[in-house]
Amino acid sequence: MDMKKLQTIIQHYTSGCSLLLIIVLASGSCSNEADPVADKSNFTRIYDNDKFNTSYFPIDMRQTPDGGYLILGGRRIEDSNFSGVYLTKVDELGAFVSEQEVDEVNVNPIGPLMELNGKYYFFCMTAVGLQTQLIEIDASGVIAQTIDVGGSYPAAAALDNSNFVLLSYDNLSKQSVVSLVTPAGSISKSKGFSIGAGDAVEEPIINHFIRTGRQLPFQVGKTSSGQYYFNGFYNYTFSMVVTDLAADNPIGVVQGQQEDGGFSQIQQIDGGKFAASRFNFGDNYFLPNVSIAVSGTSSVADLGGNKLPELTSNAPVMILKASFNGKNNLIYASNTRSKQIALFIYDQTNGEFLGSRYLGFSNPFEIANLITTSDGGIAVCGTTYVAGRFPRICLFKIGKDEFSSSIK
Amino acid sequence: MKRSLLFILIFISVIATAQTKKKPTNFNKNASKKDKFLEKQWWLGFKAGVNLTEANPTSRYTVITPTNYASALNDKVYDNFNKLGSQASLEATFYYKGFSFSFQPTYRHIRFTYSNEFNWDNPENATERLLLNYNHEQKIDYADFPLAVKYDLTGSRLRPYVQLGVFYSRLINANKSVKVSGQDFASGGTNEFSNEPVIVGAKDLFNKSYWGLTGGIGLNYNLGNVRLILDVSYKLGMSNITNTENRFGNDRLSGIGDVQDDLKINNIVISTGVLFPMRFLSNSFKTLDR
Repeated sequence: MDMKKLQTIIQHYTSGCSLLLIIVLASGSCSNEADPVADKSNFTRIYDNDKFNTSYFPIDMRQTPDGGYLILGGRRIEDSNFSGVYLTKVDELGAFVSEQEVDEVNVNPIGPLMELNGKYYFFCMTAVGLQTQLIEIDASGVIAQTIDVGGSYPAAAALDNSNFVLLSYDNLSKQSVVSLVTPAGSISKSKGFSIGAGDAVEEPIINHFIRTGRQLPFQVGKTSSGQYYFNGFYNYTFSMVVTDLAADNPIGVVQGQQEDGGFSQIQQIDGGKFAASRFNFGDNYFLPNVSIAVSGTSSVADLGGNKLPELTSNAPVMILKASFNGKNNLIYASNTRSKQIALFIYDQTNGEFLGSRYLGFSNPFEIANLITTSDGGIAVCGTTYVAGRFPRICLFKIGKDEFSSSIK
Repeated sequence: MKRSLLFILIFISVIATAQTKKKPTNFNKNASKKDKFLEKQWWLGFKAGVNLTEANPTSRYTVITPTNYASALNDKVYDNFNKLGSQASLEATFYYKGFSFSFQPTYRHIRFTYSNEFNWDNPENATERLLLNYNHEQKIDYADFPLAVKYDLTGSRLRPYVQLGVFYSRLINANKSVKVSGQDFASGGTNEFSNEPVIVGAKDLFNKSYWGLTGGIGLNYNLGNVRLILDVSYKLGMSNITNTENRFGNDRLSGIGDVQDDLKINNIVISTGVLFPMRFLSNSFKTLDR
């Protein structure tokens, strides 16, 4: 075919449709190749082990400087009534990097996984003497040292500037004990509060530790006014107790209903204003903006709140402060009766409900904890039951834009 | 929006065709004029048929992330060219001296499947074992806008041709179903089970558009005043059909453990149809072909 013929052919094909097709073709189809940024921003992972009789559950996680995630978990072990310690490291895409089934000498790991000066710490206890241990790990999840702290049954912990505040249960004196622990493992201050006499009050505590009973929402922390508080047993009742760690008697007590009522989570916003959730004989209430008297004696049941019938009975609740769409928000995470992880978003300033998001489907999903991430999104860690039966750790990463779309 | 675009394109092609038809012609004055007349023609018609799809993963993604076994054991296995889809096209073709330039806006429904398998066991106890099979089926609807060049190999009543072209496809809709079945050996026997499929809208999981190349062969048969066509073509997808930003966006699928790989899809497309000439030799609408 000569060029003249070809030119003639081309000249004849002048209908508008060809031009339009070329424009459409050029404009729309070159932007859908691999997207590493999106891959880091949003993902869902379930970390599976193919052994039939293993079970893992997460307790807490932290994002490491490399963008990856360090997950502290527990695992079922044959030779102890308590859970073993499990550590896993995943990269910024959620891909598995390493895991460590920590020696069964130490059991009962508790959260949070606390970051201090580039190192990560958590408490657990010895399997035989039930003595509290402080474990230091690096960002890759390798144990750097194990420090004997003393005391027994660690229940909750928190970072207190350059120290740790620890809530533990002393089964000999039957006391809830609040201690200040240095990174070197020494106790600088400690105060015990009686749970009450008799075995009945101790039973739910022990069942919590050996995980045969309900997981109680033990918590400890420090208020902005410098006082310490714990959510645990005091005087036969699961209560929020405020102390200065000096006086024998608490400064304030917000009483629950034995083990059937109390706070399931507390986060101080400022002064006497808190974001909290409470449980009461199976019911769950969210209080995204509540004033709590930190002195004197009051009752949790009097605080009211938004009742959430969709949550499981006495549901665990985690509260995260996070900023989205230029607002300071509170994200409540909990477990629904439909076996999903539910995220409820509230305005931190006035407690207004802003939106919700549900994670998981088909297999059961349960919340462990959630964190903000360096890219402005959130990461949610939980337990899922793969094939409806194998407890495994799951990690949801939700990007800033994606999560913002859930907020009004 | 996509439907509107489809209609606009069809409308433009029809208008373009109609305008050509209105051009003055000199009918049958002498043989040389007739030959000249037969050098070019506009055809307008429709065709429909079936297609088969091949999905090629270019990057693999997974929700279930093994910690103590090779991830390849859980890889999705794509079943290529095993599910019939369908398509229907309008065709506007301009013929000139053996070459045809064809625009064929098409509604195309494709299907493809993949499966993956999971196994949990206890080496110390053979009865502690569970096998799970996940069977996934994707159904995707596209509006295709192909532009092809055909070349007639002969000039007889039966005209085989070859064609090459490009296409641009806009996503119209997508659905996905997941069926889980398995064998549980830990129930005291072999418990074979199959769950009801989970069917979800999956439009957000796919890109709004992709493009590719097309090539094929076909036969034209001039029957009376119309032309019958049999067309077999291969569509080679050149871009990813997966929405990378929304890969994990469907909580239901992620919860089951499914996530979309980066995919390029290829199709074998078989169509038959009929074309009508838009220019005539005489007022009696005699066909242009000898």
